[in-house]
Amino acid sequence: MRERNPLARKILVRVARVIIAVIALAFFIYPIFWLISTSFKQEVDVFASPPKIFIFTPTLKNFVHVFKNTDIPAKGVNSLVAALSNTALSLFIGTMAAYGISRFKVGGKRLLFWFLSLRMLPPIVVSVPLFMIAARLRLIDTRLILPVLYLLLNVPFVVWMMKSFIDEIPLDIEESAQIDGCSYFGAIWRIILPMITPGLVATGVLCFIFAWNEFLLAMIFTRATAMTLPVGISGFISVEQIFWGYITSSAFVAAIPPIVLALIFQRYMVRGLTFGALKA
Amino acid sequence: MTIYPFLYVIVVSFYRWSIVPTIPRVFVGFEQYVSMFRDTYFHKSLWITFTLMIGVVIVEMLLGFLLALFISTSRGRWMRVVFLMPAVIAPVVVGLTWKFLLSYDLGTVNYFLTAVGLERVNWLGKPLTAFISIMIVDIWQWTPFAMLIFLAGLESLPLEPYEAALVDGASKFQVLRYVTLPQLTPVISIVLMFRTLDVFKTFDVVYMITRGGPGNATEVLSYKIYQKAFFHNQLGYAAGLSVVALILATVMMNLFSRILSRAQSST
Repeated sequence: MRERNPLARKILVRVARVIIAVIALAFFIYPIFWLISTSFKQEVDVFASPPKIFIFTPTLKNFVHVFKNTDIPAKGVNSLVAALSNTALSLFIGTMAAYGISRFKVGGKRLLFWFLSLRMLPPIVVSVPLFMIAARLRLIDTRLILPVLYLLLNVPFVVWMMKSFIDEIPLDIEESAQIDGCSYFGAIWRIILPMITPGLVATGVLCFIFAWNEFLLAMIFTRATAMTLPVGISGFISVEQIFWGYITSSAFVAAIPPIVLALIFQRYMVRGLTFGALKA
Repeated sequence: MTIYPFLYVIVVSFYRWSIVPTIPRVFVGFEQYVSMFRDTYFHKSLWITFTLMIGVVIVEMLLGFLLALFISTSRGRWMRVVFLMPAVIAPVVVGLTWKFLLSYDLGTVNYFLTAVGLERVNWLGKPLTAFISIMIVDIWQWTPFAMLIFLAGLESLPLEPYEAALVDGASKFQVLRYVTLPQLTPVISIVLMFRTLDVFKTFDVVYMITRGGPGNATEVLSYKIYQKAFFHNQLGYAAGLSVVALILATVMMNLFSRILSRAQSST
């Protein structure tokens, strides 16, 4: 059969491929699609049986409620402030460290793996001692604490990413700039910095996403005034209970920035998610 | 700045320490560690964490690899964007979405099950199904990540060995076994490391979907430490647990860094 009818086999393989693709896509898209569509549904449509998956009258009612009557927008601002300030700080500290490690082999492989293991530790492990320290310094629930804590998360990441970007720039370029009369720091400022700018942007985007999505530390270290969006949403479940429309629309709002950023910076995502190990 | 917390956590683990500063702290030496090794809930939590880790990582790597093989040979480049989504959305949002999807009488998962003639499943109400639910959510969120990395790895492979194998008349399976897999070892070990250590950290999804329950069927180590420290007010005991988690993570990290450097030097 196999030898006698290669065409039928080819068609069969193609059909099987399409079916697998459809199933895989449906499985991975459906939850996101459900979240987005539910956030636009009227209350009656949310619980309709059989569920209204594609056809319903969309409404912005849920978003209006979330933005007008809840403190979700305030928490969004907190998230934004924490994520942006942490990204700037992490990029600054991490890139300098990465330059040293890349050019002068500071600390060698050991230091690099030490950075990686910092990042790989469960954050809960350090949260007990850090909580005590922060409590003594009266930093709990201030806008200062999260940007500082997230350094633990993002500096190791920046070091790994930026090292991989700086490694790609040949040392000759710096040297020839110095021969042409650039000072040492001038060479870094005028030659290296512009060359690593795409890398900085890509790294910054991922730092922002990590900080924006972070939940555990934010939940432990903030109470009200500095509370971030993920913590706000997790508490929203018990407040709004059966108003799935309100809950899903606030969750959708929290998911928009990462999705948009991932779409724009697609090209760097694989490299970022593997800490620069894979240059795709 | 980064060493201090680690030393501090070890010191705290020798004390009976309350979160309320006025309650006196009592030095108890190794007492917390002794009770930890007698604590059957702690044993269970370790068991749950490692079962989850091993189960989820195996499924994600196999499924991710198969999907990558599949997509690399088809024209589905646009699918890549879709597969990026789960990995960048906050675990809190993912957990919340799945909590609704898995709801017993209102969730669409059960609706689809009944639509094809199967029984409704009480996903989050029973120990075993709750554990499986957590697995499904993690697999949903991270299989695309594994797939994208395998895909990047597959596409960076040189073509010559394939042409040589083709000339020698190798079968498709032989090509996969003797040409593709050996060359992919570094990529495979990267995925293995990231996924294993990430699952070890699991907290957000458990917090959102089951809160460790029902009973303590989904109480992973991170969640257990969180509860002991911030609900049961036993900072000393939580610090002791943290030290154990720290040791486990460090051991795994060393293991993986060794595998990784060996894989990189062999290719």
